[in-house]
Amino acid sequence: MVTAAASAPVRRALVALVALALLYGVVSEIGSRVLPRRIWMATHYIEDVELTPRYASLAEEAVFLVRAGILQASVLVSSGRVLAGVLLGAAVGLPLGLAMGRAAGLESLLGPWVAFFRFTPAFALLPLYVLWFGFGEGPRVGLIATAVAIVTLHGAFEGARRIPRVYLDAAASLGAGRVLVLRRLVLPAALPSLVSSVRIATALAWVTIVVAELIKPAMPSLGYLLALAGAYPRVPTIVVAIATTGVLVLASDVAVLVAYRWATRWMRRRVG
Amino acid sequence: MGSGRARLQVADLAYTYEGRTPTRALDGVTVEVGDDEFLAIVGPVGCGKTTFVRIVAGFLPPTRGTALCDGRPVAGPSPERGYVFQEEAIFPWMTVRQNLEFGLLAKGVPAPAREPIVGELLGLIGLQGYERAYPAELSTGMSKMVEVARVLATDPTLLLLDEPFGPLDAQTRARMQEALHAVWAHRRRTVVLVTHDVEEALWLADRIVVFSPRPGRVRAEVRVDLPRPRTLETRLAPAFTALKRVVWRELGLGEGSRA
Amino acid sequence: MKSSGGRRAALGLLSVAALVGGYGLAAQVYGQPEILPTLGALLGAFHGLLTGQAAVAGAGLHAHHGLDHLSGLIKEGVTLQGALLASTARVLVGMVVGGLLGILTGLWMGWNRAAAEYLHPVYVLFRSVPPLALIAYVMLWLGHAEAHLLVPIVYAVFTTAVIPTYHGARDVADIYVKAARALGARGRLLFWRVLVPAVAPSVLSGLRYALLIAWMTTVGVEMLMANNGLGHLIVGGGLWSSRLQVAVDPAVVMVGIVGLATAGAAMDAAARVLGDRLMGWRKAARRW
Repeated sequence: MVTAAASAPVRRALVALVALALLYGVVSEIGSRVLPRRIWMATHYIEDVELTPRYASLAEEAVFLVRAGILQASVLVSSGRVLAGVLLGAAVGLPLGLAMGRAAGLESLLGPWVAFFRFTPAFALLPLYVLWFGFGEGPRVGLIATAVAIVTLHGAFEGARRIPRVYLDAAASLGAGRVLVLRRLVLPAALPSLVSSVRIATALAWVTIVVAELIKPAMPSLGYLLALAGAYPRVPTIVVAIATTGVLVLASDVAVLVAYRWATRWMRRRVG
Repeated sequence: MGSGRARLQVADLAYTYEGRTPTRALDGVTVEVGDDEFLAIVGPVGCGKTTFVRIVAGFLPPTRGTALCDGRPVAGPSPERGYVFQEEAIFPWMTVRQNLEFGLLAKGVPAPAREPIVGELLGLIGLQGYERAYPAELSTGMSKMVEVARVLATDPTLLLLDEPFGPLDAQTRARMQEALHAVWAHRRRTVVLVTHDVEEALWLADRIVVFSPRPGRVRAEVRVDLPRPRTLETRLAPAFTALKRVVWRELGLGEGSRA
Repeated sequence: MKSSGGRRAALGLLSVAALVGGYGLAAQVYGQPEILPTLGALLGAFHGLLTGQAAVAGAGLHAHHGLDHLSGLIKEGVTLQGALLASTARVLVGMVVGGLLGILTGLWMGWNRAAAEYLHPVYVLFRSVPPLALIAYVMLWLGHAEAHLLVPIVYAVFTTAVIPTYHGARDVADIYVKAARALGARGRLLFWRVLVPAVAPSVLSGLRYALLIAWMTTVGVEMLMANNGLGHLIVGGGLWSSRLQVAVDPAVVMVGIVGLATAGAAMDAAARVLGDRLMGWRKAARRW
């Protein structure tokens, strides 16, 4: 009885996912027969479009992309860029945010800029970055890093600022100096906020890469795969690229979530 | 006092909270606490008890008067005056062991020297086997005892306890008082305990200072000549009840029913 | 306390003035307006985009290729305020449609545990797809038109709004709902008088974040495929077709970025004021 109750969410999750998969199977089988294959695209007709590609087409396409080595290469290149951007952005944003949270002077200096540009999408910098850094890896990784830096800076700032006064007083009363307070108080206390900002930033990094990879794209990358498939258009390729991106987003989210669980392990109360 | 030099000498202490309506919290408090003496301060809510210990702990500079610890004026917080906060101040992201070690780390004590101190304190508060637990896994009372032990780790000359068991239920309070009593018996120290609980003050202290309502002044001093070690019998003894009557009277309670 | 507030403002002003001044000086010394536009060139671009007339003074004399960007936009009749309006409209449509869908889904999931257990895994799958990745596929269905630009924005807002609402309903509101049930409340009374106000704070903070996402998606969509809006202004044409082969004028980009920042900050401030109005009962005024 107890195990049945505990497994109900898992069972329901499986039911939902299987139902979704079946639903798509049915819709795509019907759709690929019923929906028009020839569609009008603003200026011209596009021939032989499978708007709802069947599983067979998707499998065929995936096998082709893997055989040709395109999919693996795209995944590696795009993930590498996201990883580099996240690491670089966090390396700038987190320390700066922590420092802003702990030093009122720095906060006054940077505060207006952060408040003003917080709602500015990093995308907008893309043309400037291309102008300044050329068409290489620079603007792509730089764009992701910027998006990540803005989010993590804010997260670290909030985390460092929200440390309850009493902990700082207690540390002072125990004779702790600045370095010890930073290492043993500010950092661990702000860690949950830091990691959750990295989680948001990672999701944004994946959104950003889709745009960043459209500049002077050279195969292979997921963004370019999408753009190329969209230009033909080859629907199965589009769907495979979208699904692959989704899986990667999910995987990186799970990875950060694991880090979050670790960072907040002290928050959990013992059951019972 | 008789017993030689006083550990803590407070003379004519006054404190006024600035603001739109300045509040006088303390006005001319003079108290001396002897070596190894356990002093309790009781008084009604808002009588400046906490202001008093916060000044002695070094978190508030007095508006007037002086506070000397071992003959030196108090200037800012220091591990020499171990302060246990009224609020929950145990670091929740550190294990019990890391909490206990913190003051030693601040002092720069190397790991081999920290080990026996932490071990002894764990034994003293009965938390052996819990050193790797996080505070969230402890009861409120036990985590308060960890805070007491954390302060004791650096061997302060003065221990300041600000309503340490304030939010606990009566039974847990009694249990924690026993734990505190055991710790104190084992490691004699000059203690200033602020509490609103008269029984707690009587059962633990050598002497009780009763504060008047705001602005806080010393209204009375009551010597607690109950034998040690104190036990459940102490709480039930007629002498205990008699002292309780004295303190309650000094707090100005019980007069309403006579009128 | 008062003096520290004054010091803060003074330092903030100082930092803004120093950076703007320092940038102006650096641009002047560098002397390549097509890489680092001077303050004069920025003002020129701002003026040109505001009035729809090409600037005559300053950098305009050197006809470097980047200026095609500005003159091209002006020839198309693009103005800063027009672009701002177009982008804001897209953001608002996304917020209203996506927000509504997201809140309803979140409430349903918070209200009904079985629904949450069925829907949550499906939601996680959909959330994992970056909205901009959808644009190529959506285009096939809806053609190259406004609706196809709006779908990713609505989608982004929807996926952002679901979770705060769901968690608010499940964790925050639950105790009040139980208490109200114990008092005999049910149906519409329970929903409107208890659940909705209890969830409101979570929903509002979720929507503020969704606003950020909506702006981001809007600009991304406009950069890729739109014929108007701030994203289009910044790249001077659809990135999708041109792949940024066209040289851009950094002055236009910077003016566009300042416009974006202003619009975003203004909308966030409006959302905050609205939130405080709606939830006067919540004393703790959080400052950001």
